[in-house]
Amino acid sequence: MEYNQRMGDGRLVSMTKDAIREDIEAGAADAADRAKIPTLSDDDMERLLDIMITQGKTVSVDVGNEVVMTTDMGHSVINGNYSECGGSGVSVGITAANQIIERCMGADSVGVQWYDYTYKSIKAVITQQQQELESILLNTTCPCCFGSMPNLGAYYKPDGPFENVGDMMAEGKITEGMEVYEQAAEAAIEDVFWVTQQVDKIGIDNINIDTAGAAGDGDLLASLKSAELIKKNTGISVEMGMANEFVLGIHGGMEYAGERLAGMYAHKLVKVAEKAGVDIFGPVCNTNTRMSTPWNVARAVTFLKECSRVSTIPLHANMGMGVGGIPMVENPSLDAVTKASKAMVEIGGADGI
Amino acid sequence: MKQDSLEKIKLIVLENNTAGAEEILSDALECGLEPVDIIENGLSLGMKQVGDLFERGDLFLPQVMMAAALMTKCVDFLKDKMPEEEKDKKTIKVVIGTVEGDVHDIGKNIVKVLLSVNGFEVHDVGRDALTKKFIDKAIEIDADIVASSALMTGTMLVMEDIEAALKEAGIRDKVKTIIGGAPVTEYYADKIGANAYAENASEAVNEAMNMIAK
Repeated sequence: MEYNQRMGDGRLVSMTKDAIREDIEAGAADAADRAKIPTLSDDDMERLLDIMITQGKTVSVDVGNEVVMTTDMGHSVINGNYSECGGSGVSVGITAANQIIERCMGADSVGVQWYDYTYKSIKAVITQQQQELESILLNTTCPCCFGSMPNLGAYYKPDGPFENVGDMMAEGKITEGMEVYEQAAEAAIEDVFWVTQQVDKIGIDNINIDTAGAAGDGDLLASLKSAELIKKNTGISVEMGMANEFVLGIHGGMEYAGERLAGMYAHKLVKVAEKAGVDIFGPVCNTNTRMSTPWNVARAVTFLKECSRVSTIPLHANMGMGVGGIPMVENPSLDAVTKASKAMVEIGGADGI
Repeated sequence: MKQDSLEKIKLIVLENNTAGAEEILSDALECGLEPVDIIENGLSLGMKQVGDLFERGDLFLPQVMMAAALMTKCVDFLKDKMPEEEKDKKTIKVVIGTVEGDVHDIGKNIVKVLLSVNGFEVHDVGRDALTKKFIDKAIEIDADIVASSALMTGTMLVMEDIEAALKEAGIRDKVKTIIGGAPVTEYYADKIGANAYAENASEAVNEAMNMIAK
């Protein structure tokens, strides 16, 4: 007998149970090898197999295993552009969009995300953001979040004041490039904290430092130091979501709390996040588009399980297009999304998504 | 003995052995290894491993750049020892860039470095590069390969424009195309008629090398 499965690029394929089991074992082993963590137990793999061979359009967690959802999408799910924001393109204002996701879709958080999704660019439109947040707070019930990316890439010319570090290193200016990278990180910290102070005035509940580490170890350092500042100076809770399953070493020597950040995987990232005062951590696992969803989900669950074992703070796994085992397509299929989500919660130990 | 020599040569770049490089290379030449063999089966394999380790988070960009610089020095050292016909061997020319509307270039820059140290002549049209820039550069340098990168689903669509523009310019049959970036898939590459898809930088180099071999 063969079972419908998805590939990492979203294609529907048929696989035998043995082939699915083999992919689960291989995916888990790949994660274990890369992050130097335990692979999944036989029991976990059998449970994952049971989830993957389910043929319904959707699966769900068992009653009692429900988790909360925080989001970096918020209103964008409703009124955002389809292609870039993964939205539905429904022409409603931000407040109404948040009411829809809260009341009609059961979201556990609402909020605002500026379309030019970097803290640096938000500075120019902060008063508009404050106005939107105020309206959302007055018209919704669940926690209100504000999120964006530190995105060190936005600090390089022509968008920012610094030379492109990648170009500098390619020209052999390695030491100079590392110095510029350190300066860019400091600039990002200033911006993240300043923006947070502005939205704190409105009374939001949570700041989401999203895609931490997207531009490498300096980007992550900026995220951690920003979290530290926010926790020391405001009453806002901090969620930090990663960009990649490990931290790219653009500098290689950047440390936080005595730990080198480059090369870190989720189970070590969560520990530095804890030290920075982060309240919710969002680990990431990148989807391999050439491999099956069973392979990808097994891999994601393996990373998450070890992270969950060592973490003392809630983990809200990043799940979406191309992450968390979900196929890399703009509209991932319900079957793939729900199977991955169930696995991440019930086997991986996610506290939220 | 040949295999031992090649392993030592591989380690030159892996361990950034700047001080010992020339001696190891000289010893290998004295043992009868040809310069091309040393480059292709020693140094290049070492660089490939450097790229793989970087993509697993075990090595970092400064180390990759230092390895690339050392590789270049080693190749320059060996060029003098090559037979004339090998020196005149055609260099494969690559145009690379991030497509119009997209400013992400970390991955593209890593591909550029790895291609360069593997003997490709790389011409970078930068990020947010107009399609016309890709085509004009490909014509100007008589490119063999056009490589494009995109990190967003919206900008990925420009890759199809590049395919069309190459056809319109009458050079599509002369060049091979490679595409890559987070939202890009092999399925998309097949759909738009690109010659190859690369999941990561190391794969981009492998695909480019496979293109030469064919």
